[in-house]
Amino acid sequence: MNNFHNVNNVNALAQQQAQQNRVKVSVRNWQNASMQDLLSFVSRTTRIPITNAQVEGPLLVGYVNNKDEAEKLMKWNGVRFSGQNLKFEVMDGSSGSSTSETITFLRNTLIRRYDPQTKMLNLGNLYADPELNSHGLFSSASVQSKMFPALMKIASRETQLVVDSLNLADNQIKDVKSISTLAQTFPHLKNLCLANNQIFRFQSLEIWKNKFKELRELLMMNNPITNDKMYKSEMLRLFPKLVVLDNVMVRDEQKLNAIFTLPMKIQPFFFENDTLGSSSTDFVTNFLNLWDSNREQLLSLYTPQSQFSISVDTSVPPSTVTEVDSNPSFGYYLSLSRNLCKVSVEKTIQQRLSIGPEAMNKLFKSIPMTKHHLNDKPNDYSMQVASYPQINGFIITLHGFFEETAKPEIDINGKPKSSGQNRSRRFNHGHSSVPNRLSKKSFDRTWVIVPMNNSVVVASDMLTIRPYCSNAWSLPQPPVAPAVAPTGAPLANPPAGPASMTPSQVPQPGQIPLAPTLQLPPDVQARLNPVQLELLNRLHLQTKLNAEYTFMLAEQSGWNYDVALKAFQSSVTNLPREAFIQ
Amino acid sequence: MNSMTNTSHQPEILQLFIKKILAHLDETDPSKLNSFLQLFNGTNCKIIFNATPFAQPMQFLQMWQEGVVQTQHALNSVDFQVIPGSGTMVVNINSKVRFDESGRDKMGQDSLLDKGAPASSGRGRPIYGSYFGVSMQLVIDDRIFRNDFNGVISCFNYNMVYRPEDSLMRVQ
Repeated sequence: MNNFHNVNNVNALAQQQAQQNRVKVSVRNWQNASMQDLLSFVSRTTRIPITNAQVEGPLLVGYVNNKDEAEKLMKWNGVRFSGQNLKFEVMDGSSGSSTSETITFLRNTLIRRYDPQTKMLNLGNLYADPELNSHGLFSSASVQSKMFPALMKIASRETQLVVDSLNLADNQIKDVKSISTLAQTFPHLKNLCLANNQIFRFQSLEIWKNKFKELRELLMMNNPITNDKMYKSEMLRLFPKLVVLDNVMVRDEQKLNAIFTLPMKIQPFFFENDTLGSSSTDFVTNFLNLWDSNREQLLSLYTPQSQFSISVDTSVPPSTVTEVDSNPSFGYYLSLSRNLCKVSVEKTIQQRLSIGPEAMNKLFKSIPMTKHHLNDKPNDYSMQVASYPQINGFIITLHGFFEETAKPEIDINGKPKSSGQNRSRRFNHGHSSVPNRLSKKSFDRTWVIVPMNNSVVVASDMLTIRPYCSNAWSLPQPPVAPAVAPTGAPLANPPAGPASMTPSQVPQPGQIPLAPTLQLPPDVQARLNPVQLELLNRLHLQTKLNAEYTFMLAEQSGWNYDVALKAFQSSVTNLPREAFIQ
Repeated sequence: MNSMTNTSHQPEILQLFIKKILAHLDETDPSKLNSFLQLFNGTNCKIIFNATPFAQPMQFLQMWQEGVVQTQHALNSVDFQVIPGSGTMVVNINSKVRFDESGRDKMGQDSLLDKGAPASSGRGRPIYGSYFGVSMQLVIDDRIFRNDFNGVISCFNYNMVYRPEDSLMRVQ
């Protein structure tokens, strides 16, 4: 990080200068929109860009370049955005040092009250917390009202706090508003306790509608709201996956899971048999390498009867799909697209089908140069291969993404007097010189190939181009995940266990040394408390059962060693060989 | 080479057929299942759903009827190529799909335990979530251009390509 000997220091100094002048501002009252939407709205409307923006509770906080800009921005107070009046505020940094002190203190409070074993954050009865009281956090109503949002914001930064359960009992909460940011901080919360508070209005809970989609258990005992005759039905409406309400089962969990889970999980790969798997992986890898580097070399794979066509799916995925490109540019493809939903003239449909190497070559040259990442990002691709008996061949489909690296060799739109040009004029006035931005695209490509004389012939080749977005088959990965496939070729799918968010090497106080033959999956182990681990260990050593069966036995016996041992002795003759340590 | 035969509204027929398949997928009435089944080649049909194969079309349709809530598909793009000499064509389809997130299955059954007070008689209105992206590849007989739809689907490859984070549906 030491830039002392770097000539670029001048730049750094200039930047530093600029940073000193900038003013911290906040935007309040924005809803129903992403941060990006808000930022682009503000810069479009006010002509003042907000930089380094981040969401802090209900606020968007960022910087403008200088005081002048800040003052100008204040004049826009009340401007309508997405049905709300925005409120801009200048945040002065004068309280800097004392603020950071408070942050450190609150952070320590959080860590003190978090239990990694049960993934529970206990914020119950904060008023009785002597340390919080000694810091005067309940001295006035205004300090109090800020404390919860502050705590939540700090909690959201502490990524090692994986919170499944949150206790907020006995906090004199009257209105959920003061803790509404919970939904942003812990969107995947499973258990929430709000017992012994003074919540009395449904209206305030409405903030949490469509949030907490994983909430399984809610405790609201001793709140006035529970006396309302609509209470239960309202809670069921607000929390679609609620199973236990005030210690009473309200939904059949099995049925609930069946309704909200697809019976078939998404797998990245399917090959009708193993030979097809390796040969089609080879084919696709080689094909795309040449497609990226030298498309002309691919022409030998096509016969005079082979066909190639492109179709563009311009529909933009919803903004809740991660990494979605909400403003994609299809300028290079649209005039080639053979999407039957958009093109109805039969003659055009005929023309946009390339038959034979010559026509194909022209089409290949008319679309942007690309780079696929099959080798370095195999998880971003998904493939299915099935046989195609009618032609003694097979059909390969690949889903994934590519980067556009350069403009096409032939610009179809640039030809004089072509209808394409008229179109682009009509639809792109205002920025005519750069209608075609190069960017990432997602795609689906299907090849029908026929093996022939130790080689293959591509009978049919169909490409769909669509806006870039993250794919459906990858599991959400923790930020610094190690590379999964060192070999590069996407042959095997990674084990589909739930991605545990806990770093597996979290040092746990008083960790139980387990027998080397008792290897539990890290996410299972993280769920167990020391007593359970010790019981597993004893049971394992006594029965010589493998980890899986030891765990099953312990669980079925309610974690009682004696019961478990008796159950084992009575069923030992019926257990399969593989139940034991091999 | 067979361009003279291509003035017969093939693209329109095909597009209608694809819409018919999507409508079948969105159907909640189990009595309509049989007419969907008849579209699949009964003796040799490959069905792949999210990279999981199904041995029989019936198995797949049963899973779809019993294990998946009501859906709504919307067609985004269709392209096709007739493979000369095979009597078949390859169809490449992109669509989007959303699921009924009201908490009821196709039969209108929910998971609520307190059955004392039925919320409403019959099935309620579906509450659709955000759209998922779907890529489908079909191999179908060119008999559809001669108005024959019996057992024409010999390969059905259905894969979800993107998923919205705000959906209640779990696909992973």
